[in-house]
Amino acid sequence: MRFRHSLLARYLLIIMVALILWPFVLPAYLIPSYLLDKDLQQKTQYIDTNLLKEMWHHEAAKLDGATPEQVEQKLYTLKEKYPHASMFWVDGSGETKLVLSEQNNNPDQWTIENNIEFINQRDEVPLTFLSYIGGDQSNGYIAFQIPLSFTKPPTFSIIDDKFLAIYTFFVFGLFLFVSWLFFFKIRKRLVHLQTAMTDTKENGIPEKIAVNKKDEISELGQAFNHMIDELIKSRQHEQEEEELRKQLIANISHDLRTPLTAIRGHAYSLQKEPLSPKGKESLHLIENKVDLLSHLLENLLSYTLLSAGKYTLQRKESEMIRFIRESMAGWYPVFEKEGFKVDVDLAEKTLIWNIDPHWFMRIVDNLLQNVIRHAKSGQYIGVRIVDYEGKTAILIEDRGPGLEVTTDKKGAGIGLSIVSLMIQEMQLGWKITSSTNGTQIYLYENNKGKTPN
Amino acid sequence: MKNKLLYIEDDKEIGTWVREDLTGRGYHVIWLTSGDGVLDRMEGIDLVILDIMLPGLDGFSIGQRLKKEYPETPILMLSARTSIDDKLQGLQFADDYVTKPFHPDELAARVEVLLRRFGKISLPIIQLSHLNIYINQNRIVDTGSNNEIILTAKQFQIFTYFLRHPNQILTKEQIYEAVWGNPFMEGDKTLMVHIRHLREKIEENPSQPKIIETIRGIGYRVKQ
Repeated sequence: MRFRHSLLARYLLIIMVALILWPFVLPAYLIPSYLLDKDLQQKTQYIDTNLLKEMWHHEAAKLDGATPEQVEQKLYTLKEKYPHASMFWVDGSGETKLVLSEQNNNPDQWTIENNIEFINQRDEVPLTFLSYIGGDQSNGYIAFQIPLSFTKPPTFSIIDDKFLAIYTFFVFGLFLFVSWLFFFKIRKRLVHLQTAMTDTKENGIPEKIAVNKKDEISELGQAFNHMIDELIKSRQHEQEEEELRKQLIANISHDLRTPLTAIRGHAYSLQKEPLSPKGKESLHLIENKVDLLSHLLENLLSYTLLSAGKYTLQRKESEMIRFIRESMAGWYPVFEKEGFKVDVDLAEKTLIWNIDPHWFMRIVDNLLQNVIRHAKSGQYIGVRIVDYEGKTAILIEDRGPGLEVTTDKKGAGIGLSIVSLMIQEMQLGWKITSSTNGTQIYLYENNKGKTPN
Repeated sequence: MKNKLLYIEDDKEIGTWVREDLTGRGYHVIWLTSGDGVLDRMEGIDLVILDIMLPGLDGFSIGQRLKKEYPETPILMLSARTSIDDKLQGLQFADDYVTKPFHPDELAARVEVLLRRFGKISLPIIQLSHLNIYINQNRIVDTGSNNEIILTAKQFQIFTYFLRHPNQILTKEQIYEAVWGNPFMEGDKTLMVHIRHLREKIEENPSQPKIIETIRGIGYRVKQ
């Protein structure tokens, strides 16, 4: 980034302009008012007393050898030029010849006494210049008096001068406004950047922003865009890895199942051979273990995928009664074969839950599988719609020996862990009560997150 | 006449065993170890059993091609790939999906169900309890009295739906939607009424039905 493009440079420019313009602010106000105000123009000529003094001596020197008329004429001219000043002329003999003053209290004849009196009678001693005409004492002198107040430069006070006050506030205001505008624009761009960083697209990554300046914020924007590129790249990478992982898991599953199938096949073929009762028992055991291994494998792989968030959840409004009934229709022959009493009591009403049907199928399958495996001694499976703590719940009940733990779901095997994970993901709730007389599992929809209609 | 099955499986051990087992059950089995040239072997095939992991073209691609060319031939996927994704992908074109390791009886049962659903088994007579059912002639005869039983169109549709899904528990929703073609409304008694009338005609003792079994809370089943 070049310095001239930076925000720092721009702010420095604003400050510099303010500093450079500041000395011109007051003159910019005063010059027009001076030009317009004749009285002020008049008054200003008394301020520089040295200049006045020089002028007076100069004029006196010029009057060398002048006739009294010429002196008088000169004094009248000067009085016209300096109307606020008093002037008088005393000749060589000390006689007052001419007084040009608003208040005439000059003595006619100047002596020491009336000189003192003349000075003392004044409240305010005016500034006085005395110049001998032609520089010679015998020619007499001319005097120039101006009240001291006239020699002071005019003061400018925003208290007295309303327009000056407004003008000053305007200048300050202008500076503040320019500064505010500068920071407001920065703020606006920062907020815009923040919004862009917060708003995410459906892939969870924010959109890139348009960068068209060359300052610090734009550099930040470019860095942000770069980060987005990196994010997208890493997301792609992640997806590829996810795909690989899925593939790997599917392949492992496949590679383990293929030999299991062969074992099952050979065991089945053996059944047709003449075998001793013990041999038949072993064979039966082999078949059971093949089943068990196959289920374990299934659950293990599901759990791995599920816990890594690799199963996509697709929830939709589903009719639960119908769903459960169809599930039970599939499972009925299995229970029947194992000699279970199947008690299905589903109210003839509509029960709509927002679930992923495949996931829910998996939950039901796992729970029913557990009943067959662990609660066979009870010879009973009940599936009912019941009221559980004010919620409509699906109850799956057996009369088996019960789970060792009633509330802690960890001890209940990987099948229940899968159920637990899936239930959590679908924002459903479940509750297990278990005793030595059997186990009840309630599945219900959490009201949380559901819009009332 | 034997039903001809085309079996595509690359694993020699499993292939040998399945072919032997199905042959023993009375099917004519043609076993291929890859999908190469499968379309040339489809002449007269009643059902295809297809593995997914195959050398060359995978089972999904082969299955999709077969279904496009021969929509009337049922395809049964038989695979060690068990994930939901695989099953869903498979069932887009296949008619059933059996995962390995499977029990040979289950495979045989599913093959039979598929063959029957697609009308590939032409059993002239089905014997159910005291009934003889002549599928091709749409005739049902009571063997006790030798009288023909006349069913209404709806009753006949319901009954043949059961016969096409033997030993399977069918829910009220499934039957209603298959026969009437409309979505089932919870609480609708139409189907129950029809089943009652059907039982009055075909059961020896309608209050203790033997043919159409009620599975309480779930649905109905016709065992064969």
